[in-house]
Amino acid sequence: MEQSMIGRGRDAVEMIADPGSFAENRVGEHTFDPDYGPGAVVGTAALDGRPATVIANDAQAVNPRFPVVYFGVIGMEEAYKMAGAVYETLAADADKPVAEKRPIVLIVDTPGNAPGKVEEIFGMNKATGAYQLALAQARKEGHAVVAMVIGRAISGAFLCHGLQADHILALPKEYGTVIHVMPLSSISRITKMDVERLEELSARSPVFASGVEFFYRLGGVEEIVPSPKEMGRAVRAHAAQIRALKAAGKFEETGPWGRGELGRVRGGRTARAAVLERMEEEFSQVSGRYLR
Amino acid sequence: MRRSELMRSSFLECPARARAAGLVDEGTFTELAGPLDRLTSPHLPALGEAVAFDDGIAAGVGLIGNRPVFVLSQEGRFIGGAVGEVHGAKMVGAFRLALAAYEKALRRHPEDLEEYRPAVVISFETGGVRLHEANAGLLAHAEVMDQIQDCRGRVPVIAVIGSKVGCFGGMGFVAAAADAVVMSSQGRLGLTGPEVIEQEMGKEEFDASDKSLISRTTGGRHKYILGDCNVLCEDRVGDFYQSLRDLLSLPYEELCRCRRIGTYSLVQEQMALTALAAELNPSDARDVWRYCGNADPEGLTELETGEFLRTARRRAREVS
Amino acid sequence: MALLNLEFSFDGVPGASIPGEWAHSGVVGSGDMEVLLFRRDQGGAVNVKVCTPVSGFDQVWKMVLQRFVAESGCGDLDLEINDNNATPFIVRLRLQQALAQAREEGGR
Repeated sequence: MEQSMIGRGRDAVEMIADPGSFAENRVGEHTFDPDYGPGAVVGTAALDGRPATVIANDAQAVNPRFPVVYFGVIGMEEAYKMAGAVYETLAADADKPVAEKRPIVLIVDTPGNAPGKVEEIFGMNKATGAYQLALAQARKEGHAVVAMVIGRAISGAFLCHGLQADHILALPKEYGTVIHVMPLSSISRITKMDVERLEELSARSPVFASGVEFFYRLGGVEEIVPSPKEMGRAVRAHAAQIRALKAAGKFEETGPWGRGELGRVRGGRTARAAVLERMEEEFSQVSGRYLR
Repeated sequence: MRRSELMRSSFLECPARARAAGLVDEGTFTELAGPLDRLTSPHLPALGEAVAFDDGIAAGVGLIGNRPVFVLSQEGRFIGGAVGEVHGAKMVGAFRLALAAYEKALRRHPEDLEEYRPAVVISFETGGVRLHEANAGLLAHAEVMDQIQDCRGRVPVIAVIGSKVGCFGGMGFVAAAADAVVMSSQGRLGLTGPEVIEQEMGKEEFDASDKSLISRTTGGRHKYILGDCNVLCEDRVGDFYQSLRDLLSLPYEELCRCRRIGTYSLVQEQMALTALAAELNPSDARDVWRYCGNADPEGLTELETGEFLRTARRRAREVS
Repeated sequence: MALLNLEFSFDGVPGASIPGEWAHSGVVGSGDMEVLLFRRDQGGAVNVKVCTPVSGFDQVWKMVLQRFVAESGCGDLDLEINDNNATPFIVRLRLQQALAQAREEGGR
């Protein structure tokens, strides 16, 4: 295996940004408390001399207040800090036209949302939801949001930190990249099917398989970036491409909705489009009764 | 079932299709992409898993007054109400129709938009992503969140939680992202389900066999005290219906004040709450109830819902 | 491993169909099933399609369905069943309920 980027979120920031440009905990006019949400790395970096907000996981950090938060887990503080970085980005560029709004780069290496009792008592669901709504708003206001999966992009944590991006890029599996809800071994336990059989089936159907290439076929990954040294190029290229699409008003070609269409084109997700079409057709037959 | 009988019946036990019809005005519910369309999951057969004609969700449209209400109602008895490709697409489809209906209402009723403004109501009964088609389920969750953000400022989204399975996994944050949340005392809302916490963190962290612990941590009463549930109602279909009517009769701006997340000031309020979480480090939700001014938290769990509503003190909101 | 599709055909009572064009009943819970019923003009015949994860029970299905058709005195119907390990008792019960419900609901 090539040298994995798992646990190296901070290295990835340096590899992607202009050399030495990253100012941690600084977004627009705001300075974040470095002790709050230590598992989240937020700040401003330069991409070809222009500012970009960077949000990454720090898998080395441990949150002293929330013991379930370590090894890249996104806890309540982490998710709210990430959301805060997005809102500060919105504020910083509020008056700028779409073409000049700074990109937001998500560097993804997280095994999950914090699974703890205190988290459930206070509502971890709100934290991960808050970050997603912030990213969706940024995307709709014209910021290019690019996610670069460098390691683990797992289930709810990937939904929170990644799946609201305009484009999602990932290193190939040779680098240890993992994108899934759970490993096939766990799916095997739940569905009571042999792992061998599941592996065989996943060759035909990408919907439950574990791995970057399956997400690619479902439209969940825009581009598989061949190696870490090409991450910087890829992130810049996608940010530029997204910016151009948005400047042309084509907001639906990217993000979750755009990935739905990509999944149809790539053949991994075809039922979705048929359902959407059927609902529209059936509603049009009765709409007179409801749209008064 | 007659309407009056449906209104009196338990919401907890009510099947998804009947629930959907019960949440809107009598006789107004029309199902879309329903069982007759036989849009079964294309992925379950290969895994030898039974399919359902509705893929575990009743989606459709009804009226509350003059307002079109797009209803999504999940069926917990089919694979735990979990979200697969077809199920998820129905959710996304309902939002799309609601947003298109809003554009029409805006053109037709610029003067009295409040009366005609469409809404989306989701009756949750789910553990989130369906593992048999996990990747498609995951992508569908992201699409629903995207649609909720599109609804901001246009279409109210109301979460309804009071069914057997509760609302967990990714759907837990979908519910949190709604404008308002209605629950019964029996309703359950969370991100990580009790079994998963126990499995990941051990029985000392969370004993998933302790029903009353689960109820205190994820139940409607706790969420009501904390402010994560806006309306707590009795376990009857008619009470949920009435709660929706009441919420939708509020001016839209006022309804939006029910939100927990979705703006920077709301996130800052939640950040303050994480500071409280760290400071209190509660071993039980009751510690939070006590902090909120409830001197006898044990007693609160014993009360009837009506008495609870009169007695319980809720966390003071910092954002108005 | 895949789902099994079974088909059966029985002689029923001409004209003893349901009032509406179609009806639906049941939930595919564990040990349960759902059924779609269609009114057909086909000389009384009752055609049944069953989709089930369990193999090796073709004869049991045939017996249960035959008994249901005979007992209920139905006819001119197509049935489509999604099964998830329902016992013969549950199958019979659900079919009786579905027919009663379809007749109660009336035409649509």
